[in-house]
Amino acid sequence: MGRTMKWLRRFTERALSEKRLDSELQFHLEQRTADYVTEGIPPEEAHRRARLEFGGVERFKEECRETHWENQWDILVRDFRFALGSLRKDRRFACAAIFALALGIGASTAIFSVVDNALLEPFAYKDSRHLVTLHLRDLDQADDWRGLFLYDEFQEFSKKNDLFDGMVANLQEDVVYSADENSILLAGNYVTPGTFEFYGIAPFLGRSLEAADYQAGAPPVFVMRYKTWVIRFGANASLLGKRFNLNGVPRTLVGVAAPRFAWGGAELWMPRPPGELKITRSFDGRQYWGVVAHIRPGVSLKQAAANLNVIAQHFSKVYPKDYPTHFSIEVESFTHIVTPREFRRALYLFSAAVGLLLLIGCANVANLLLARATTRAKELAVRAALGASRLRLVRQLLAESSLLAMAGAVLGILLAWAGVRTIAAVLPDFTIASETVIEMNGAALLFAVAAGVCTVFVFGLAPALKASRCNPEEALRDTGKGLSGAAAGVGLRNTVVVAEVALSVALLFTASLFVRSFVALQRVPLGLQTDHVLSVRIPLPPDRYKTGAQLQSFFGPLLERLKSMPGITYAAESTTRPPYGGIRSEVEVSGRAHSDKWYTLFQLCSEDYLSVLRIPTLEGRRFTEAEVKDARRVAVINQTFERRYFDKEDPIGRKIQLDLLRDFPDAVKEPQFEVIGVVTDARNRGLTEPIDPEVWIPYTVTGSAMRGLLVRTTNDASAMIKTVAREIWAADPNVAMAEPNTLDYFLDLFTFAQPRFGLWIVGMFAGMGLLLAAIGVYSVMAYNTARRTHEFGLRVALGAAARDVVRMVLRQGLRLLVLGMVVGLGASLALSRIITNQLWGVSPYDPMTLGGVAVLLLLIGLMACWVPARRATRVDPMTALRYE
Amino acid sequence: MALEKGAQEKAEFLKGTLDMLILKVVAAGAIHGYAISQRIQQISKDFFQLPQGSLYPALHRLEERGWLDAEWNDTATGREAKFYKLTRTGRKQLEAEMLHWEKLSDAVALILRTA
Repeated sequence: MGRTMKWLRRFTERALSEKRLDSELQFHLEQRTADYVTEGIPPEEAHRRARLEFGGVERFKEECRETHWENQWDILVRDFRFALGSLRKDRRFACAAIFALALGIGASTAIFSVVDNALLEPFAYKDSRHLVTLHLRDLDQADDWRGLFLYDEFQEFSKKNDLFDGMVANLQEDVVYSADENSILLAGNYVTPGTFEFYGIAPFLGRSLEAADYQAGAPPVFVMRYKTWVIRFGANASLLGKRFNLNGVPRTLVGVAAPRFAWGGAELWMPRPPGELKITRSFDGRQYWGVVAHIRPGVSLKQAAANLNVIAQHFSKVYPKDYPTHFSIEVESFTHIVTPREFRRALYLFSAAVGLLLLIGCANVANLLLARATTRAKELAVRAALGASRLRLVRQLLAESSLLAMAGAVLGILLAWAGVRTIAAVLPDFTIASETVIEMNGAALLFAVAAGVCTVFVFGLAPALKASRCNPEEALRDTGKGLSGAAAGVGLRNTVVVAEVALSVALLFTASLFVRSFVALQRVPLGLQTDHVLSVRIPLPPDRYKTGAQLQSFFGPLLERLKSMPGITYAAESTTRPPYGGIRSEVEVSGRAHSDKWYTLFQLCSEDYLSVLRIPTLEGRRFTEAEVKDARRVAVINQTFERRYFDKEDPIGRKIQLDLLRDFPDAVKEPQFEVIGVVTDARNRGLTEPIDPEVWIPYTVTGSAMRGLLVRTTNDASAMIKTVAREIWAADPNVAMAEPNTLDYFLDLFTFAQPRFGLWIVGMFAGMGLLLAAIGVYSVMAYNTARRTHEFGLRVALGAAARDVVRMVLRQGLRLLVLGMVVGLGASLALSRIITNQLWGVSPYDPMTLGGVAVLLLLIGLMACWVPARRATRVDPMTALRYE
Repeated sequence: MALEKGAQEKAEFLKGTLDMLILKVVAAGAIHGYAISQRIQQISKDFFQLPQGSLYPALHRLEERGWLDAEWNDTATGREAKFYKLTRTGRKQLEAEMLHWEKLSDAVALILRTA
């Protein structure tokens, strides 16, 4: 009790204890002086001796204070205040170090988070690492033939339970939900029994599909996606158990799936009772299922593929049209399927670069701290000589390092956070799985922060320990080479700078190639005009729209109405969305013999199709409204078709035969068409692929295949969406339009979004690489000039002009820059080979780009050298030499 | 220069043993700082050439640890001074350290004699 009181008193009476400390030491000195005086020494001399024997009074007072617990806080505050002051004095150093640290932490965490979320852990599904998908590959084309399978094939595959623990399949189905006033289109999926158990995710609300739901005659039910439930139905829990009119069938909502369940990208999942086969509207009447399997641990992908190939060989004889001549089944990891191959490779490349960025950030910080330690060696030595204890010095440097580390870490975390948000925002749709959530990766952040902070402490304290351990006198006498001037250290630091410059050359070069490729892509002539065009897909109820005549009864009046509306110049029916064209079919041309198979794309459209897209006619004419109405067998072909299959003969009046039409559910018995015109080539396989032969025929010849609308407007096309929707409902209230948007929007989404994203990421990288390289060059040059201050002073004293000193420093920096650039250019050329297939319209060895990058880097590097060089010239020869 | 360096190394070594010496001196009864420094010099015949001031951080440290207790009292000459005395834990610590030293010096002595 008394003890506690005493301690408390000590805390409140710090002024008193200070006074007491003073009088305790004074007492000692006075006693000693008195003793000498009694020995007969004159008072003044006695006093001098006493003080000499005692040592530094202030130093010992300080050490006494440090032992007292009540002073600890004050000491801490004082250390930090002192550290802040000394960092503020050297603002350039502090900013560079904090910035390098923050950049390293921020960039590496952000990119790693994205890579981890998108590639390594995109799904919340049970054991998703063992999930695989199946593909049928055409060995002659080195291309996917199909990634979907017939139900028979699925059933046969799923029997191989020595390879797989489980296998499920899904079938895409457009679902029209008819409510009171209007209809909306939802992306549906028929799923096979056991699907929800297979993915192992409990529903968010209600239940998932159960075995009983798949029985014939079971009441129709469905499960809704969480996102759809929230966005479209206002997260209304009372909807559970309600009936929805879906494609004309009343279905009961039994559950809402967990938030991250998005299998098949569907909005609702329905059981498909066996026997319910003819339900979808695929263009040849067959249903193709996506298949996912859970591979048994220990079974390799190749092993599984080899086994499935045996089954596939059998099926290729049953369904010859579904198999190419030479094929193989391939089994691929599920995660690989959802991220396109090129994008995946780019991300891996980025994550490697990111590790380097963190490393370089840390190397920069280390360099800066070493440079500072050198310039401060004397300051520290002086303070040690004046009686600062080793503990004191270490504590102060610790405080300085803590401040740097803290500022760097906080800024780094902010950067990482902003980076993740930015990347998630600019990430184009369809490049990652819809289940993926892009968020900050805690472990990565922790790792990066730990790496950065450790660097600061190791390199911030090591010189401090060294400085305080060594004899003050030695350090004071030293000319500045003593502390860390080992030749090996200099070599290492120079290597780091060379590596930094090399890396940023490579990054900059890659970024510039992406920019040039992107610009080239945007300049590709399409051959058609996408502006002011509205594109809508219209999934018609398959039961009521089976024949061409039935289609005509819907589209005929609708197109008539639309064309008469103000703001609409042309409206046309179409099967696909440009610049991707048509259905691929084998083709025969009358009077032309050939041994290989001839293919063409064909488009089922109405008379205004070419006018909507402003594709000009070259020869002959287009078909008329009357010809469409009567479903006449006439065709318009493109230039590529003419060139490839008519070989300078006049195509007008000739017959061509589209074989695939025979296999349609609403089959065309003799699919022969008379060529009546030729139009100029327009892109039909995207921007970068060569143009294929293409044929346009009246849409009324068959009732099969997916249909849509293209509408040319006078003003903003998206403003017409509501009008078009109203007209569609007026034509048939049970028809809903899907994906209404402008053609420019789709062009951007499917063509430019991914390259733009690549551009963004690489650009960000290059910017950061450049900054880090600049900081790196600066830190090493600052260090080098600091070490040579003495020499410069001497040179100036001996008559060297400031110009000469600057030139010396710049020459030294230039050597490092040029070396780094040579290494970097080599690396760039090697790297650009890897990214060749992501470039378009620019050579990966483009000399202009290489030259531009070299010049830019040289300028920035020289600027980084300029600052320390200028400082070197300001050395006062007297100050520099006085230390000698 | 070399001499100075040697002296500094000795100082570092002595810092560790200083605590024990202080405890031993204080064990004889309440005593002020100046007297402690005089006693140590007398007994060791000036072997320990520490700056006298370095005694005080050590005293404060031992007091903080609870091995020493301090009180302000008048000296024989009527001047106020800070007197240190050993606490119970301080005495235990001293005994432990002395035991340790005896063992160590016995062992070293034995090696020097017989080896």
